[in-house]
Amino acid sequence: MQVYLPIAEMSVDGLLLLGIGFGVGWLSGLFGVGGGFLLTPILILIGIPSPVAVASGANQTLGASVSGLMAQWRRGNVDLRMGSVLLVGGVVGSALGVQLFAILRRAGQVDLAVAIFYVVILGTVGLLMVRESVRAILRRRRTGVAAARAHEHTWLHGLPFKVRFRKSRLYISVIPPLLVGLAIGVLSAVMGVGGGFMLVPAMIYLLGMPTSVVIGTSLFQVVFVSANVTLLQAVQVGSVDIVLTLLLLAGGVVGAQFGASMGTKLRGEETRALLGLLVLSVALGLLYDLVRAPANLFAIGPVP
Amino acid sequence: MIGAALRGLVLLLALAGAARAQAPAANTPQLTADLSTVRVEITTGFTGSSVMVFGATERLIGPQSGEDVVIVAWGPPQATVVRRKVNVLGFWLNGPSAVFREVPGFYAIAATRPVWEVLPEEVRRTGRLGLDALPLRASGSQGPAFRAALLELKQQDGRWQEYAAPVTVAGGRLFSARVSFPDTVQTGDYRVEVLLVREQRIIARQELFLRVDRVGTAASIAYVARTAPVVYGIGCIVLAALAGWLGSVIFRRN
Repeated sequence: MQVYLPIAEMSVDGLLLLGIGFGVGWLSGLFGVGGGFLLTPILILIGIPSPVAVASGANQTLGASVSGLMAQWRRGNVDLRMGSVLLVGGVVGSALGVQLFAILRRAGQVDLAVAIFYVVILGTVGLLMVRESVRAILRRRRTGVAAARAHEHTWLHGLPFKVRFRKSRLYISVIPPLLVGLAIGVLSAVMGVGGGFMLVPAMIYLLGMPTSVVIGTSLFQVVFVSANVTLLQAVQVGSVDIVLTLLLLAGGVVGAQFGASMGTKLRGEETRALLGLLVLSVALGLLYDLVRAPANLFAIGPVP
Repeated sequence: MIGAALRGLVLLLALAGAARAQAPAANTPQLTADLSTVRVEITTGFTGSSVMVFGATERLIGPQSGEDVVIVAWGPPQATVVRRKVNVLGFWLNGPSAVFREVPGFYAIAATRPVWEVLPEEVRRTGRLGLDALPLRASGSQGPAFRAALLELKQQDGRWQEYAAPVTVAGGRLFSARVSFPDTVQTGDYRVEVLLVREQRIIARQELFLRVDRVGTAASIAYVARTAPVVYGIGCIVLAALAGWLGSVIFRRN
C-alpha cells in the first residue's frame, strides 16, 4: 500500500510505516521513553530525507508522549514546578537548536551533524546506563535488596537562586535544571527526538530527583519541547510531513500500549540495562555507517 | 482523463485515415503528435505515472526512408548539488560540492534510433538532444567526476532517462512512446518535443505541453505547509496530540 508523502515528495509503503511505528512504539512503551532516537535513524535508513525525518520524528514524539503524560498526570507523578523550569530551558534550547539545524543545512552538513550527534550522545548515554544498571543488578544479587540511592550533595547544590521543588523533595538552585533543559532542547531540535532518554538519566543523576516523578516530569517537558520543535521546523525549514507523522503514530500508539503492559513485568534495573544496550547498539550502527567506505562517493540533492 | 483519451483516439483515427489516403495533399503536415493526457495528477496514492506520446508522419519511418522520430521530455529546471564524500580521520563526510543551477529536474529522450547516429553534434548541442548534449555548467567544484556523478545518479533515480523506453512504430507511420515519471517527480510545467529527422537534419518539430500537479489531500497539505507554515505547524501539533490521546483511550490495556 503505497502512500505519497506530500512534504517529503516521495511515496513510501504505508504498511512499512505502520510497522515501524508499532515496533518503535512497543519499545517506547516498554522503556517509558518517546522512541524518537530510534525512529529518526530508521526513517533516514528507509530513504526519507534527513530534514523531514528529524522534523516529523519530533512531531511523532509529541503524539506518543501525550498519552504517556496523561497516564502519569492521573497518578500525580508530574512535578509541575520542576517541569516548568526545565521547559523554559527547553524552549530556548530548541529555538537555538533549530537555528543550528538551519545553518548546518545550508552548509550541507546536516547528515553528518545528525549522525555525529547521535553517535556521541547515544554512545555516552547508552554506556552510562549499561554500566549503572549492571552495577545495580550485581549489587542486588550480592545483598538481595535493591540499594536505595543516597541523595548526594555536589557543587551543584551550592549555586544561588534556590527554589523548593516539593514533589521532587528538592531544594536546589534553578540553574542546573535550566541548563539541563537548554542542552536537551538543542539536542532534540537537531536530532528530532523528544530527549526523554537523555532527560531521565539527567534528572536522576544530575538533579537527584526521585524516580517516581522522573518519567511524568520528563514527559511533560518532552510534550512541550517537541511541540515547539515541530512548530519551528514547520516555519523555518518547512519539513514536517503530517502524513508521515500520523501513519507512524497510528502504529505507535498501539505498540506503546502493548510495550507498557509488558514493561510492568520487568525489574527497573533490567529495563534500564536493556534500554542502555538498545541505545548503545543504535550508536554503534550509526558509527559503522560513518566509517564504512560508501558505495558511491557522490551524492546529489536539491540546492537548499 | 477520459476526455483526453477520447481526444487521442479521435486524432489517432483521423491520422490513420490520413495515412491510408494514397496521395497526401500538399499542405499535409509532415509530423503530427499529441499526448495521452495533458495533466499528471499526484494523489495520496501516487507511485509514479506515465504519459503516452503518439503521432503520425507523412512518410514512412525507418531505415528505408531514412526518417527517424525523436521524442524529448523536459521538466522545470531544478538546481542540483553534487557532493563528494571525503575521508577525514576515518570518517566519511561531505566534502567539495558542485552546484548545477540550470539543469532540468526531469529529462527523457526516446528515439527510433539513437540521436548520435542520426544528427550531427552541433545540432544535438543546440537542441540539447541526449544527456551528453546537456550543458552542465557548475559553480563550485569543477571537474568531470562531478558531471559524471550527476548523470549517473539522475539516471539511477529515474529522473533522467536516455532511451529507457522504445519508440514503437506501427504501419510505418504511426509512432508512440511512453514517458515515465518516477514518484519523486517535481510539480510544474513539462514540455515534450517531437522531432522528425531526415538526412542529418530536423525537418519538422512539434511542441506539446503537460502539467504535473498535486491534487486532493496531498495538494492541500503541501499548499498549507508552504503558504501558512505557522497554521500548518500548529495543525501538526494538534493532530499529533489528538492521535496520541485517542490511541491511549482506545488501546488502553490495564
